[in-house]
Parts: sequence; structure tokens; C-alpha cells
Amino acid sequence: MKLKLKTVFVLYFMVSLMGLVYALMQLGQRCDCTEHDLPKDRTISRLRGELHRLQEQIRKSEATKQPQKQPAKPSQPTIFVITPTYARLVQKAELTRLSQTFLHVPQLHWIVVEDSPHKTPLVSDLLVKSGLAYTHLHMPTAKDRKLQEGDPSWLKPRGVEQRNEGLRWLREDRRAQPGGDTQQGVVYFADDDNTYSLQIFEEMRDTMRVSVWPVGLVGGMKYERPVVEGGKVIRFHTGWRPSRPFPMDMAGFAVSLKLVLANPESCFDGEAPMGFLESSFLQGLVTMDELEPKADDCSKVLVWHTRTEKPKMKREEALQAQGLGSDPAVQV
Amino acid sequence: MPKRRDILAIVLIVLPWTLLITVWHQSAIAPLLAIRKACHHLVKEIFIIPERLAVRHHRLSDDGVEGKRESGGPAQDSKEYCASDKDIVEVVRTEYVYTRPPPWSDVLPTIHIITPTYSRPVQKAELTRLANTFLHVPNLHWILVEDSQRRTPLVTRLLRETGLNYTHLNVETPRNYKLRGDTRDPRIPRGTMQRNLALRWLRETFNANSSQAGIVYFADDDNTYSLELFEEMRTTRKVSVWPVAFVGGLRYESPKVNAAGKVYGWKTVFDPHRPFAIDMAGFAINLRLILFKPQAYFKLRGVKGGYQESSLLRELVTLNDLEPKAANCTKILVWHTRTEKPVLVNEGKKGFTDPNVEI
Repeated sequence: MKLKLKTVFVLYFMVSLMGLVYALMQLGQRCDCTEHDLPKDRTISRLRGELHRLQEQIRKSEATKQPQKQPAKPSQPTIFVITPTYARLVQKAELTRLSQTFLHVPQLHWIVVEDSPHKTPLVSDLLVKSGLAYTHLHMPTAKDRKLQEGDPSWLKPRGVEQRNEGLRWLREDRRAQPGGDTQQGVVYFADDDNTYSLQIFEEMRDTMRVSVWPVGLVGGMKYERPVVEGGKVIRFHTGWRPSRPFPMDMAGFAVSLKLVLANPESCFDGEAPMGFLESSFLQGLVTMDELEPKADDCSKVLVWHTRTEKPKMKREEALQAQGLGSDPAVQV
Repeated sequence: MPKRRDILAIVLIVLPWTLLITVWHQSAIAPLLAIRKACHHLVKEIFIIPERLAVRHHRLSDDGVEGKRESGGPAQDSKEYCASDKDIVEVVRTEYVYTRPPPWSDVLPTIHIITPTYSRPVQKAELTRLANTFLHVPNLHWILVEDSQRRTPLVTRLLRETGLNYTHLNVETPRNYKLRGDTRDPRIPRGTMQRNLALRWLRETFNANSSQAGIVYFADDDNTYSLELFEEMRTTRKVSVWPVAFVGGLRYESPKVNAAGKVYGWKTVFDPHRPFAIDMAGFAINLRLILFKPQAYFKLRGVKGGYQESSLLRELVTLNDLEPKAANCTKILVWHTRTEKPVLVNEGKKGFTDPNVEI
């Protein structure tokens, strides 16, 4: 086919004309985009101004700051917090406020173990949004070991399988890390309804074997605590079964990672009689005189065994019976 | 067989267009990308947590001072940075990581949180975890009002140690208004006098003409608040509302929002015909509105159960003025949790534990 120059030019003109029109339309749209960009630019310049101001302040304060008492620690031991959790109305609220506390603690790794046959999206989403370093596990409790509706909370031990699963994961994960037994870390069992002050995490960070401290609002008393004399724990001040080997609450002790790894068989015994859960774990790890007392020789309460009321759902249940219950898509 | 001249012609046609298209695409996308990257970078730089860096609002001339008011420049000068080393550790998986509490910003409206509290065994625990939540919120001013004759050392010490920007007040509810023991008598609303005192303090401290932007929120000490809630309420112009979980015997109570984004009713079972069928934790008020209507307080006497919130709100806004938040009132950002009363049977009559140890 022979291409005449004239046809080429005509073709070119048509195509360029169409292209020009199209580009002009696109150009019009682009104008809108730049209008939206202006406020973004303004925000950026404002933020930049704030940033420079804050940096100036940091530089100013550091010039006048007192010399530090402690030398800089190259890296802090990580606190591994194992939290068993289970689905109920207040679960999201409990985990939310727990994550808000943990977010203040540096070098903390949250191991959440759900009592469920699979990971639930509620917990998954919460963990992702929390901003924490976490591990999400799940381990269902066997039916006969589970508390039924209406059972008092002390009837069966709770969280046993979940804590053991947390320990198992930790051991497996740490074995794969370089450094093996010389790894520094602390393991703490934190239930999702307790209240933790930020100081308790700093107290437990330098645990060599097992450290202990008082726990508030537990054992039917204002607080339970180890009694310390000469820097050693000689007995436990508790109103309920003080003859247990370790009459403490789960929130009252932390174990060093080294000890957990060195004793791969030690875990919580679900068959232990009521109140002996902690002892079943600690017995194989440490003796009473090896315990390290924290919190000012166990004289300050830095963690409280709070419990959250079950919300009253009378009206909700009545509505659901009529088929008018609240939208289940709205996550509570 | 295409002649060389034809090929040249075709190339001459196609080449400028390909050039134009590629250049045009680049220039359209590049500014947007640059802006996004700059934003991310700035956000990361502003909110990074150095190791051991703690920002504390220290009042240099401390003891006995009632509290600290926020005021841009001087407040920041009194901050003390206790950094032991310059290592900056960026927490993994986070875009926003806070120093404790976050640095004061000149652009964000202040959130004034009014919390009434009273002495009981779980008080310190409740205030501790509440403080842990508040330490994440920038430009927060906590007004804690005790139901007591004098400001207790427990609360004084706790407030000081948190490092938050706070004001510590107290007023004792007279005996005939107080709840007796455990009986939940809905005719006597708890915390009313304390909240009113806080409102009065706000009116005495801020004058209506000042440009200080502020939001007032009533936060009880046993509820649970997500951090998102505080950012939602920051844009309140008059009164904003949102759903609250675990109130009214339901999974949640929420305002009814129509397609135009206006509140037209209340999705509750308990007396949905109240003027404002909402829980104390379900609304926030712009400070300007509080200052413009200095007569608006919570009604103390003769208030039916569940009408306390209405007694204040009806003097401030109409239903039409309410601003629905939390995705048009479809997300739960606050839970009306209640803490069990701890069983203290083993204390016995004389008390088993050392009363000097504070719990």
C-alpha cells in the first residue's frame, strides 16, 4: 500500500486534534487535583513548622538536662506477656484498654492466645491496630474442662491450655533465634481483666530467675504479698490457703526467659487443685529462697486483680426474642 | 513493501504522542506521590519514641499547686526530657507512636476530660488504667473531681506521677444525696456535684472571647475508651454524639441518624422518648458552648433516672444541632464497663493487711 504524504498529514492532523481535545479535558481534571493538593501542602508546611519547633525544644532541653545516673543500656530485655483470652461481650473492651497500657512499655511482646478453635477477626484486627509487637495464637479448651454458663468462676481452672500454648510457642520461637540460651527476656502472665501500672514492667525487666511482688484486690483481701526479710522471701502474706508452695496470683510473678527455656517440660497443670495452678508451674523452676522480691521489697502494690462485671443484657435478650435485636454486624 | 518514507512518516506521527503520554503520566502522579511520602515521613518524625525518652509536664514550682493549665509556650518550656541515650527506636508496626504524654500541639483543640471519682478499693486501679489510656492522647487536660472533703493524697500522688496535664478538684456530696451502700437508687445521680464543679471551674478559668479551642467530655473512671474516640470528638462544633456499648441493658445504645446525617431519635429500649436518651459517655460538648451558656448545669434535684444527661443538654442544643460521629453512629468506640466490687472477706473485722500499703 502506498502512503501518500497528503494522507499522512491529514491523518496526523485528525489524530492530533483529537488528542489535543482529550488532553485539554484531562488538563481540566488535573487542575482540580492541584486544588486539593494545596490544603495538603498547607498541612505539610504546618507540620514541618511544628516538627522544627519540637526538634528545637529537644535540642534546648538536652543542653540543660541533668547528667544521667544510669549508663545507657545497649538493649533492654524483652518482656513477653502471655494473655489468654476468650470471647465474651467485654472482650474487645478489655483487650483495648490492655493494649493501651502495653503501648507505653518499650520492648514488650504480647502473646495473645484465644480459647477458640480458630483465630477470630475481632482479636486479629485489634492486634493489628494496636501498634504492638504481638503474636496471635489460639488453643481451644476441652469441653469438659470449660466453665459452663452459670458456673462460678473458681470451679475449673481457666487459661491453662492457653498459657501452655504460649509457653510452647515461645520455646519454639526462641530456639530458632541465634544466641540460644543466653537470650535475655522475661515472661509474664497477664490476664485480660487485670490492671497493670507501668512501673511493674520496669520492675520485672531485670528478673534473673523468678521475681515476685504484691498483687492488689486478690485472695479476698486488699492485697496479697510475699513477706521479705533481708532481701529474701521468707513467707507469703495471704488469707487463703497460705500452705500452698507458692500462694500467689498469676499476676504476682515473672519468670526469666532463660529459666523457661532451660526447663522445656515445665508448664501449668490443669489437674492441680484449685489455687495450685501457679505452684504447679513454679515448683519445678525455683525454690522460695531463690525468689527475687521487687516493688520496694514487696511493699508497693503495682498490679491489681480487677474483674469486670458481666454487662446486663436483659433488654437485649428480650429484643432478640422478638427478632429485633441490635445489629450483630456492629462489633462490640 | 513499506517504503522507507512511509516508515519515517509513521514514526514521526507516533513518537511525539508516546513522548507526550509518558511525560504527562509522570507529571500527574509524581506530585501526589511526593505529598504522600512527605506526609508519612513527617508523621514518623514527629511521633517517634526514643528509648527511655519520657516527656513529663513538670511544674517547676510544684507542691501545693492545684493543677496545671495548658498554655502553649510556657507549658512546653517546663517539659523535662529524661533521655538516657540518643537511640531512637521505632516501634515495629506502628505509624503513630507516642512519647508520654504526646507533645503539646498548637493546632489541636484541647480535650477537657471531666472525671468524678470517689474512694473505694478499686479507685487507684481504675485511675491508673484510665491514665494509661489518656497518656496516648495529645492535648488532653484531665479534670479529676473527688467526692471527698479534702483532696486525698492517693489521687494527688497518682496525678503527679502520671505526668498528665491535670486539674485536681474536690467537692463532697452531702449525705442525703449520696447512694447508700449498694442500693442502686436511680433517683440520685452520682457524680453530679462533681461534674458541675468542673463546669464551673472551666467557666471561671476560660473566658468566652479567648481563641482557645476546647472540647468537654465526661469520662467516668470505670469505662473503657478507644483512642479513636478522642480524635472523633476533637472536631465537635457544638455537641457530638456516638454509640455507647453495654448501656440500657443492650449490647449498645446509639442515636438514630437519617440519610442526611442528622440525629432524629434514639435507638434505646429504656425510655427512648427522653429529650437526649444518651449515656454520659456518649457525647462531647464544644467548650465555647459551655462558656456561652453559663447557666447550663446538670440538674441536681428532682431528676428522674436516666434524665441527667438531658438536664444539661437541653439547655445547650436541640436534636437538630447534634453531630453524629463514629461513622454516622455505626462504630463502637466507648464501652460502659463496670468493675466488680472486690471480695474482701478475708480482711475480717480488724483488717488483715497493713492499712499503710496503698492499693
